Amino acid sequence: MSLLQVRKVTKRFGGLTAVDDVSFDVFEGTIKALIGPNGAGKSTLFNALTGFDRPDSGSVVFAGAELVGRRPRDTVRAGVARTFQNTQLFDELTAGENVMVGRQARQRRGFTAALLRLPSALAEDRDARAEAGRLLRLIGIEEWVDVPAADLPAGIRRLVEIARALATGPRLLLLDEPAAGLNATESRELVQTLYRVRDAGITVVIVEHHMGLVMEVSDEIVVLDRGRKIAEGPPRMIQKDPAVIAAYLGEGGDDDD
Amino acid sequence: MGGRTLRALAPLAAVAVVALLPLVVTDRFLLKVFTFAGINALVVVGLALLFGHAGQVSLGHAAFVGLGAYASAYCTVRLGWPWPVGFAVAGALAALGGLVLAMPSLRLKGHYLAMATLGFGELMALTFQEAEPVTGGVDGFGGIPFPSLGPLEVGDAAALYWLVWAVVGVAVLAAYNVTSLRPGRAMRALHGSVPGAQASGVDVVGVKVRTFVVSALLAGLAGALYAGVVGFISPSVFTLTASVTFLAMAVLGGTGSLAGPLLAAVLLTLVQYIDALIPGLPQEASQTIQSYREDIYGLAIVLVVIFAPRGIAGLWSRRGGRGEAA
Ligand SMILES: Nc1ncnc2c1ncn2[C@@H]1O[C@H](COP(=O)(O)OP(=O)(O)O)[C@@H](O)[C@H]1O
Ligand SMILES: [Mg+2]
Repeated sequence: MSLLQVRKVTKRFGGLTAVDDVSFDVFEGTIKALIGPNGAGKSTLFNALTGFDRPDSGSVVFAGAELVGRRPRDTVRAGVARTFQNTQLFDELTAGENVMVGRQARQRRGFTAALLRLPSALAEDRDARAEAGRLLRLIGIEEWVDVPAADLPAGIRRLVEIARALATGPRLLLLDEPAAGLNATESRELVQTLYRVRDAGITVVIVEHHMGLVMEVSDEIVVLDRGRKIAEGPPRMIQKDPAVIAAYLGEGGDDDD
Repeated sequence: MGGRTLRALAPLAAVAVVALLPLVVTDRFLLKVFTFAGINALVVVGLALLFGHAGQVSLGHAAFVGLGAYASAYCTVRLGWPWPVGFAVAGALAALGGLVLAMPSLRLKGHYLAMATLGFGELMALTFQEAEPVTGGVDGFGGIPFPSLGPLEVGDAAALYWLVWAVVGVAVLAAYNVTSLRPGRAMRALHGSVPGAQASGVDVVGVKVRTFVVSALLAGLAGALYAGVVGFISPSVFTLTASVTFLAMAVLGGTGSLAGPLLAAVLLTLVQYIDALIPGLPQEASQTIQSYREDIYGLAIVLVVIFAPRGIAGLWSRRGGRGEAA
């Protein structure tokens, strides 16, 4: 059975149907790409999967449990982590501390333990610090650990956000345009990171405009256009799909560098 | 590294200066000013968490100070309870008030907290005036005994000073623990990005509510200390002006810091009692300063927000960044 089952999800904003009756499956251990022109509803779909937007109808089943109606914090704890198209880092914190916050999703000690500086709180602090270091190394940006997020270059910000999402200990990772703002070298490193994440047993859904990257990493692709799913299949089939070429590749297929 | 050593030694030096001050400053009124500075500092430690770390604005913290002041006065004078009990009740009542206020207003998005605290402050100011049987109304509540710890009465100016600053010391230590560990990161996180915090599993409303309750508790304790130090309280003390002054101290002190707001609390308290500090100051000069005090605070806040958003704390932190609270 698939890890994630999206069933007939619809989300409207006033008269606009941003996501229109979309269904698909994501299988454990795979990388799935979600593509489509700007405004196709990709980010809205991510919001619907993670509790940021409640769909008007439809169902999202993750590892056997319904996600619709849950708050973002509960979907994270259920094992679904995400990044944002507009990076949402904590500028007051360093890169390392940003990742440490993600680790809190898996930690138990609260306010009182910290207030009294109990050994358990200090142990969790050390654990979070170690985990942040490990993830920044995994992604290859450990040299930025002590830099305030406000001072990070755009590409590094995206990668730190991925590290923070990984720190929540997800089974499913949703990435909204992770290659935007990355230079060619960083993009190549992102691809390696995606493989490492997948090999660690984490399933990935990636929204991305960078076609070369999408075709390279994804096992399957879902294509959205004006809220509707117009195609689904492996990269080679999607590239040849006339509906996709008409809707998407025809107008914006110049990303392939 | 020199800078690092200095950073490590600064808190110790500050503790030494604060602890030894009464041995140098023998003028009783001046000592009282420094005692008030400590009481204000206690409120501002709470606001350093609420505003400086979690980014939430309160325009009503004087109401929590008042709640604590009246609660401890009532407990010690009317009920004859020991001072430490009244002190604890003051903190508990203010914390409860904070919880009741914060729960609904923090669930809503936007600036509801600032408005709710403003309304709460006005409501409490009115209550202190009108609830005459309990508060003594506009005439005030007098005859409040000095604080006492068991058989030990804290009545001497230096002893009061030490009591107040000892409480401040404990509060700063607790606040440092909170800010340097997980809860502090969560506070600064939601200040930076609410969606980011939610996506990281942070209980955004919970963190805001807890922070608000802690800040209300500290304000309540400050109120109990104020009542004990002065011996008389009246509604005119716990007004919007006082709330704005507390907030000004927190803003000037800077975000992501405890030391900055503490310093700002002391400095602005000294400005408040400038005539006592500069004996030769002409009457008109000090009156001018006093009558424009709120405008000066307002102007200072605007200047800080525009030119030095990190406040006093930004002056010593590299690039003004780094959340590490000192
Ligand atoms: N909060 C919102 N309120 C109103 N309209 C929205 C909102 N969020 C997205 N939309 C609209 O929904 C459509 C899909 O947007 P989005 O999901 O961001 O597209 P994509 O991520 O595929 O570029 C767009 O037309 C956008 O303007
Ligand atoms: Mg988008």
